[in-house]
Amino acid sequence: MRRGRFTGYWLMLPAALWLALFFVIPFYSLLATSLYDPEGSVLTGYDVTYHFANFVDALDDFWEPLLRSLWYAAVATAICLVLGYVLAYAIAFKAGRWSSLLLVLVIAPFFTSFLIRTLSWKLILADDGFVVDTLQFLHVLGDDSRLLATPVAVIAGLVYNFLPFMVLPLYASLEKIDGRLIEAAGDLYASPSRGFLKVTLPLSKPGVIAGTLLTFIPAAGDYINASLLGSPNQRMVGNVIQNLFTSTGDYAAAGALSVILMAIIVAMVMVYIRTAGTEELV
Amino acid sequence: MVNARLSRRAALRGGAGVLLGGASLGVLPLFGSPDRKQDPDSCRARDLSASQKRLVVSNWPAYIDEDDDGYVSTLTEFEQRTGIKVDYTADVNDNLEFFAKVVNQLGSCQPSKRDMFMLTDWMAARMIQVGWLQPLDRTKVPNLHANLIDSLKGVGWDPDRTYSAPWQSGLSGIAYNKSKVKEVRSFEELLSRPDLKGRISLLTEMRDTMGLTLLSQGADPSDFSGDEWDDAIDRLRKARSDGQIRAFTGNEYIQDLSAGNILACEAWSGDVAAAEDENLVFVSPEEGTMIWSDNMLVPNLATHQGNAEKWIDYYYEPEVAAKLAAYVWYICPVKGAQEAMEKVDPTLVDNELIFPTAESLKTMHSFMALEEFQIRAYEGDFADVIGG
Amino acid sequence: MSLAADRASRSLRLTALTKEFATFTAVRSLDLEVPAGSFFALLGPSGCGKTTTLRMVAGLEVPTSGSIHLGDDEITYEKPYRRPVNTVFQNYALFPHLDIHENVAFGLRRRKVKDVDRQVKEMLALVELESQAKKKPPQMSGGQQQRVALARALINRPEVLLLDEPLGALDLKLRRAMQIELKRIQTEVGLTFVHVTHDQEEAMTMADTIAVMNGGVIEQMGSPAELYENPRTTFVANFLGQSNLIAGSVASAEGDVVRVDMHGNQVSIPAERAHARSGEGWVGIRPEKVLLAPAGEPIDAPGNHLTGGIVTDVSFVGVSTQYLVQMPWGQELMAFEQNTGRRAVLAKGTKVDVSWRPEFSFLLPASQDVNAGVLEEA
Repeated sequence: MRRGRFTGYWLMLPAALWLALFFVIPFYSLLATSLYDPEGSVLTGYDVTYHFANFVDALDDFWEPLLRSLWYAAVATAICLVLGYVLAYAIAFKAGRWSSLLLVLVIAPFFTSFLIRTLSWKLILADDGFVVDTLQFLHVLGDDSRLLATPVAVIAGLVYNFLPFMVLPLYASLEKIDGRLIEAAGDLYASPSRGFLKVTLPLSKPGVIAGTLLTFIPAAGDYINASLLGSPNQRMVGNVIQNLFTSTGDYAAAGALSVILMAIIVAMVMVYIRTAGTEELV
Repeated sequence: MVNARLSRRAALRGGAGVLLGGASLGVLPLFGSPDRKQDPDSCRARDLSASQKRLVVSNWPAYIDEDDDGYVSTLTEFEQRTGIKVDYTADVNDNLEFFAKVVNQLGSCQPSKRDMFMLTDWMAARMIQVGWLQPLDRTKVPNLHANLIDSLKGVGWDPDRTYSAPWQSGLSGIAYNKSKVKEVRSFEELLSRPDLKGRISLLTEMRDTMGLTLLSQGADPSDFSGDEWDDAIDRLRKARSDGQIRAFTGNEYIQDLSAGNILACEAWSGDVAAAEDENLVFVSPEEGTMIWSDNMLVPNLATHQGNAEKWIDYYYEPEVAAKLAAYVWYICPVKGAQEAMEKVDPTLVDNELIFPTAESLKTMHSFMALEEFQIRAYEGDFADVIGG
Repeated sequence: MSLAADRASRSLRLTALTKEFATFTAVRSLDLEVPAGSFFALLGPSGCGKTTTLRMVAGLEVPTSGSIHLGDDEITYEKPYRRPVNTVFQNYALFPHLDIHENVAFGLRRRKVKDVDRQVKEMLALVELESQAKKKPPQMSGGQQQRVALARALINRPEVLLLDEPLGALDLKLRRAMQIELKRIQTEVGLTFVHVTHDQEEAMTMADTIAVMNGGVIEQMGSPAELYENPRTTFVANFLGQSNLIAGSVASAEGDVVRVDMHGNQVSIPAERAHARSGEGWVGIRPEKVLLAPAGEPIDAPGNHLTGGIVTDVSFVGVSTQYLVQMPWGQELMAFEQNTGRRAVLAKGTKVDVSWRPEFSFLLPASQDVNAGVLEEA
């Protein structure tokens, strides 16, 4: 009997090891990197000198791509939310027997690599491609303008790549809604639009929260879309970090910037969850 | 009473937080990054070449000829002649990426499990500086010293070719799409012509792009001052803020050029030949071109250095070099290969992209060797312009 | 308190109402009038079309043909949120994200009614849930949820309140209590209740009028006593309580009495309870109307008297004893006897005579299936 008292703790061991190996150690390593002596180099080595000025320097040098990342990610998340909601709603309530097929289609892009998908957007949005041609024909775009290498292309890429992360949680929470609740709302004098606002939307809130987080967080840290679909003027913080790590070898600045990005995202997520409220998430 | 207990609990929690934070700060130094310098004299392995007929090589993709029905590759001939079994892998895609792949082993005197790899000049220079490479025995590679073309001799970072043997060389210049735009003759034109605004791309490879920019500013990339560097970086920054530059790219620029997303760009000579698009033209800019080489290097703790030296000496035979060059279409670093090409493929004997004339060689420049602190500063300046 | 005070209640009328789905017809040309202020039950086994009928009244299904009127207004195609009709859903369909107060207030808020809080409080008082206003539905018991659902619908003072199997999810004891409660509230508020159920006992306990539905049509409609005492079809006879149905052929039909030959025994049936006037038929008698006596002993019921029965099964259930009596022609009849103590319980194997008063028997056409409605309740 006495031996059983510690069984629970032993069962936690795999999870704890996993956390230590894939979260705690990398996190400490990153934190240490952000406090490196900036005078070091990849070859001569870096010492942890608690050089907190790295954070100030990184903010000072890279506040622009940092803000741009948050802005692009926010816009992309908003667009994903609108598109994803319509899509998830249609699949959950209107698609009938087609719903599983549509769900597979939502996930289908994952069958190809992220890189290939983004590269194919480059072809679609090409200056001589049919999208630009059509928009020019319709005079939405001027004859000399383009989509590639503009914020539109980068945000479109983010929306495309992260839409499934929005659709799936939204679908999961919409699909769970008892259809009789919507009938009940109608029975209780709520027009379809009021019924949506007062019943369907609040009940899908867990999906909205999960979807926006799953979209915003990776979008804010993404660098593939900006580097393939954007120009140097659309660089996001991910590109800067990647450059600092691989080309410049400035580990201290790269680490500081990564920690700053992480801190900003954690803070935003906490404020968001507190305002949106999770106590109702049944 | 309740308040007192609450505040005590809060204080305990706060104290625990401070303790944890303090402990964390204490742990952080364990994650420091060590000095990566090594001494090639002490960090070397016993050469097993005599007993083990093996050789492990890492190279860039599509950089060697391959057996095809009837055609026997230079590699197969090497194996047949020497009895050495070559373990050849095309796992070098990018200098920095490959550097990242081996930094932990070579930086701490561990075997990289390779006998030879091919890297570009500046990366080779960096590895020599930190003592990761083994010197080649001059007596074992007589062909290298006899047949290396003059323009590749006496490079600043390895004056006597003690550590490196060029595999192939290439040019960085300009390419344009002749169906879309009239000829682009100089790098300055590329950076300023109004009809190219927003429709050009440059390479993310700092030494190529900055080399051409330095040339366009009248500086010598192989020997420039800090002021000259600043002028060049300002010129590039201006082009970017003018909106002239659409993108900084790696290898993928050639598709954009074919597709018409860009009209002209900074380009590598071999890529344009390999693209097989007759509208794409490679131009040596009026200011000059940048020439670079990928070098065969033997890392510390390689166990088959003798076999690697046999390989190097083999590829410096003019007939072998000609056969290889006819296949890969890069600048051949071997003297006598041009004459040997008569027998391999007479149409290529006068191909400037394989055998540049003495005249054109004069317009080809290499980038000066940089100290680690310069790499930091210059790569940082360059990253500022292309990113952020 | 009369919730319907501000609006004159009107009767609900369904005319030739039909609903066809892709593969079957749920409701066939249904005609029905529910008087204002009545407690009306639609009773039938599952799949009989009663819920579809209810949903058409609520506006949740669109009829294939036919019409629905409230008084003189046609509401056949009116949107559900524009009908003065509310529903208590099966499993209640309470909004899990709103507390009880807001659940009940939902309809009022949608109609921008003033004074919501006071009305909600009154309503919660009526269903005795004032103290639970801040709870969320998942925190409540089934019976409490049921009352919230009722309050949420009632507060809107609908002209017709529809109840779709409202007690189906409750256990037996709670169901009994809620039946009485519902009836009390209906009497108190004076609204028209249309109650759909498959539980004949529930329907009989609460409803003024019951319509028995089967296969998309109404088999018979009337007060509970009428349906029970004088069923017109074998389905009603079997579905509402239990019946002994004995094959016979009409011997004569004169005046107010029909005489039937039943395996050699002559029995008489009042004409108004004889739903066949010639040929073959089923003589029906409820088990509690069947009287037994040991063979040869007198039975104090003049009229139909049969001999030669043998008791084959005896179940003592306290207030009564249930017998199975095998008759000479092989059929087993059921008889329920009150345990009045006048006579000892008959033992299995006892030879008995059987009798019943003619005014309790009924006659159904032989064309109807003798087993229709048997055990469908379960």
